[in-house]
Amino acid sequence: MAHTVLVTGATGMIGQALVPLLARRNDVTTIFGLTHANECVGSSYKVTPVRGDVTAGPALGMKLESSREILDRTTVIVHAAANTRFSAPLEEARAVNLEGTKNLLAFASHCPRLEAFAALSTVHVAGKRTGTICEEDLDHTAGFVNSYEQSKYETELLLREHMSELPISVLRLSTVLGSSTTGEVRRIAAIHHALRLYYNSLAPMIPGKPDSLVDLIAMDYAAAAVEHFAVEHFQAGRTFHLCDGEDALTLARLLGLTREAFLRYRPSWRKRAIEMPAIVDLPTFELFVRSVEEVGDNILRSSVTIIKHFVPQLVYSKVFRDVECTRSLQAKGLLKPSVLEFYPQVVRWLVESGWGEHGTLAGGAGA
Amino acid sequence: MDSNSEQASGLMQVGIPAIEYVLGSDAVSVEELEARGLLDSPAARLCEFGFSRARLSRESSYALATAATNKLLVTTGVDRTSIDALFYTGATPACHAVETSDPMSAFNYPVAQLQYEMELSQARAFGVSQLGCLGLMASVALARDFLLSNKDASRALCVSADVLPAGCKREMIYNVISDGACAVLLEKECERNHIVAYRQITKGYYWNSIAQKNEIAAAYFPTARNIVRDTLADADLDSSDISCILPHNVSLRSWEILMGLIQIGREKLFFENIGKMAHVIAADNWINLRDAIDAKRLSHGDRLLLFTFGFGANWACMVLEH
Repeated sequence: MAHTVLVTGATGMIGQALVPLLARRNDVTTIFGLTHANECVGSSYKVTPVRGDVTAGPALGMKLESSREILDRTTVIVHAAANTRFSAPLEEARAVNLEGTKNLLAFASHCPRLEAFAALSTVHVAGKRTGTICEEDLDHTAGFVNSYEQSKYETELLLREHMSELPISVLRLSTVLGSSTTGEVRRIAAIHHALRLYYNSLAPMIPGKPDSLVDLIAMDYAAAAVEHFAVEHFQAGRTFHLCDGEDALTLARLLGLTREAFLRYRPSWRKRAIEMPAIVDLPTFELFVRSVEEVGDNILRSSVTIIKHFVPQLVYSKVFRDVECTRSLQAKGLLKPSVLEFYPQVVRWLVESGWGEHGTLAGGAGA
Repeated sequence: MDSNSEQASGLMQVGIPAIEYVLGSDAVSVEELEARGLLDSPAARLCEFGFSRARLSRESSYALATAATNKLLVTTGVDRTSIDALFYTGATPACHAVETSDPMSAFNYPVAQLQYEMELSQARAFGVSQLGCLGLMASVALARDFLLSNKDASRALCVSADVLPAGCKREMIYNVISDGACAVLLEKECERNHIVAYRQITKGYYWNSIAQKNEIAAAYFPTARNIVRDTLADADLDSSDISCILPHNVSLRSWEILMGLIQIGREKLFFENIGKMAHVIAADNWINLRDAIDAKRLSHGDRLLLFTFGFGANWACMVLEH
């Protein structure tokens, strides 16, 4: 079976890593990479960049002739476009994540050959829930830490409504860190910014408990898992957790590893004697944030803005079960890289590249 | 156990039998400070942070130091020749010289003048500087070490004095600053307020207090948390053993945050002086100890925690047993 794949958010964090993997497959003949502008989507002859925008209505802002061809040919849709900015106002996040998905579902409903619609989501649709989170879980009333979580939760509700009409699978990713082999970070995101604040002595405290789990996965593993579940092992109506699960590091261990990596890869950092951020309860953290927002200068205020929209998630300690996902990937021979091994490599890359000063910076909405 | 080994093992107690202080004579509300252009932040904001007024002095720091020292010597009636050491501290360079128009007056040291004028003829004199608001606590710790390492010494006096120049801003990093002086007497084999543990951390990375104010503000809390934790461990105590925290009088807001970090309830914080007295630079903890005693807030055997921070950057924590 030859596949034609439409990838939204093709130049985004996951899209960039996914498109080359799809292009390598013998059963994939064409990849339409939806992008906002005329961006490079990959060097393979199989890849065709398509200018469009999931927020631009059911035609996705594509030219009519492109739209018709893609509608006729597409067998697989990988929906990776998202507004991942945690600080975005809810309406702004919904406009891309919820309304964009609504548009894509409308588009998909006119694809006569569609076999698979793989929607990327986040394990943090669990919001402020605590305890064990299973792959089939969704509905809850615990609330959310930020607009990204809430808008993706609402998006999953929408996707479930359409599961009876379309072949939809949801792939929930945890925090994607960087390459497990080189440590490279394609797109600097909130967690990388937070590490920079610690490195520069601008991170005084972090809410949570020392044993709160911080679920991180490697970029290459995430992309390979998405490829696997979107094409090779697609299962309509299913949700999978692409995460570290029970192997996730505790917050205390993560801070310790970070410090060790800073010292190893930038020995001169030692003489600054910068303390590890204190792990505090949420009211203490919120009081600090409020104080900085009231009186702090721009640097400190910006620092607080970077972390305040996502670190409170650490207060709601939870473990994501990924049994089904891991079993399926192991059967394919795809093993989860050990976070203990790749995390220091990512920190090394960040330190040595100056946080990718010349690379692509994060945020915004992918096509 | 002979007296030398007793001293060396730290079993010999050094306590604090007396504290006296004087403040700048002019009590000025934060609203008035704002009207005079002496604040960076709005007065309302500083009120929210717990400040209501500052004490401004028309006299020199040395005059206040003399007044506080004399008050202590008179009220205790202590034999002046029994003072074996005098430690003099102040946060600003101006506090460490009795200056005249002659540039050589930079060598006119107030500690020597105080030793002479107060008739402390047997006291060895030491100036303790460059520690910011930590000067008096560090002096007390040095005086304790001096007494323990000199078997013939029995008493030491620590004096801090700080007066900001007229017209100088009265706000530093959202804290309102007052003028004042404080004298602390230390005595060997004194059970009152004996020093159980002391720690000081200096982080030279933050030496530039102007350029690195954000980094200092961020480093303040985790370092404070760690030094409190480690000082309590040195004293073989945990936070629940502490009856009272005697703070440096920085903003109540920052203390509320710090109390969250060190997991001690706000009811244990002696915060009454923050509003009416503001931050008397190096003297706060000791003024608060004196006032907590006068207010009968302390009982015999209470464990007291004193914490302060000084530019430099320095953090210090002391545990006393009342």
